[in-house]
Amino acid sequence: MIQVRNLSKYFENKIGIEDISIDYEPGKCTTIIGPSGSGKTVLLKTTVGLIAPDSGEVIFDNVVFNKLKESEQKQIRSKMGMLFQGSALFDFATALENVMFPMDFFTKMSREEKIERAMFCLNRVGLENVEKKYPSELSGGMQKRVGIARAIAIGPSYLFCDEPNSGLDPYTSTLIDRLIQEITQEYNITTIINTHDMNSVMEIADKIVFIYKGKKEWEGNIHDVFTSDNERLNDFVFATNMAKELRRALKSDKGQQL
Amino acid sequence: MANVQHLYQKLTFYRINYTTKPFFCTFVFCVYQTIIIVITKFLSNIGNYFLFLRKVFSKPEKWRLLFKQCIIEADKLVINSIPLIALISVFIGAVLVIQTASNMTSPLLHKMYVGYMARESLILEFSSTMVCLILAGKIGSNISSEIGTMRITEQIDAMEMMGVNSAGYLVLPKIIATTLLNPLLTLMSFLVGLLGGYLLVSSTGIIMVKDFITGIRFCFQEYYILYTVIKTAVFSFIISSISSFYGYYAIGGSLGVGKSSTNAIVTSSALILMTNLILTHIML
Repeated sequence: MIQVRNLSKYFENKIGIEDISIDYEPGKCTTIIGPSGSGKTVLLKTTVGLIAPDSGEVIFDNVVFNKLKESEQKQIRSKMGMLFQGSALFDFATALENVMFPMDFFTKMSREEKIERAMFCLNRVGLENVEKKYPSELSGGMQKRVGIARAIAIGPSYLFCDEPNSGLDPYTSTLIDRLIQEITQEYNITTIINTHDMNSVMEIADKIVFIYKGKKEWEGNIHDVFTSDNERLNDFVFATNMAKELRRALKSDKGQQL
Repeated sequence: MANVQHLYQKLTFYRINYTTKPFFCTFVFCVYQTIIIVITKFLSNIGNYFLFLRKVFSKPEKWRLLFKQCIIEADKLVINSIPLIALISVFIGAVLVIQTASNMTSPLLHKMYVGYMARESLILEFSSTMVCLILAGKIGSNISSEIGTMRITEQIDAMEMMGVNSAGYLVLPKIIATTLLNPLLTLMSFLVGLLGGYLLVSSTGIIMVKDFITGIRFCFQEYYILYTVIKTAVFSFIISSISSFYGYYAIGGSLGVGKSSTNAIVTSSALILMTNLILTHIML
């Protein structure tokens, strides 16, 4: 379980995030939504330790992560997997070597065992015959899948995804979403997803956190979204007229049922 | 604010009244502020550079991986530079012979001094300093753009996320490979330069081949080889570490990567020239 307590980060007096507290539960997907520039990526990067917070705590299974020394953080880091917005695959390595990379550092497996595990991970994300290809030879969707394979290579307890669907077509987006959901449930991983793709949120979110101007504005599940009276949330989620009509219809149906 | 008060005190001390000479005072203030900003930025860069080096030289996670990366970097940065350095050296060697011969018209000077002068020029300055300035352009831009691209595409973040010391993994092998192997490249450049001179002498007859050979063997000081090797090792360290530093902290997309490459080459070249003066003063 990951707990974020009163986390704040400022950039030259501008708010990155301010006083955010969230609980992320294992085996569930928590999606962080919000407009561009609202602080989603700052929150994610602060949680994983890529950005040092100005105040607050990040707690991984009762251990305060951001108060640990860099050498002590390594043990927790070895349980983390992260899928970056642009995949962040290493250009100098093939797909197979990318997946093997964390194993090179954190396991004492033989080369054969590492190859076997990497091939298993690539197959798990639905990729075949790509192991010798470099990232530049793969499509965007394939790169995301290799990114997921790399993230799950050493059996992480925590999975962080920053905009996993950006730049993908709706069909591939759905495939990636389902893959993340399956992996989360299969390995009982605590998954945190940053996104502003509402289709993705509807598909996989067990819990939704809405961030607005660096502050936590709202928290709930998919059903709560339709009944919430939070104006900022409604403006963000139901941005189009069609979506607004749909929400009105759903709300009135629900009201009649109740 | 303290700076402004300090400046006003200074101006008052020199009997310059702000109300009667506002333009002059504003000009002085702007120059003063600019100097303060430049010095602060310079000192901050030096501090960050040494903090970066501390990160680079921290204990590697796995020695086997470091060794493997060193081999890869040696191939990419040093072995791949051989054709360029050989090509430049052979022509510079030939040109040095022509220039020296054309300036030694006095009948009192023996023609063997053409070979002697060419050899001394090659080993003392061209093969170390000039070759390293060329390498600052080739290797420096390669390193800073490679690491800079990794930074802006979040590849370095991905390594840090996994708990890998990205500076150590990416930069240390480059520093080791270039610092240890570039001196060999320099010695090769020296030999190829002499070969260029020999080919020119034997093909044009500008001086007798026998005189040229005698000249390049005349009063040879082995210490000069050590001097060149040490100079090249220091210059290579400067090139690889400075270029990595600028690449590692690149910001602002592809423009930022381009800027980091330019800064890396300019700073490396300037530092090479300054260090050359210091080392030459100390060692010769």
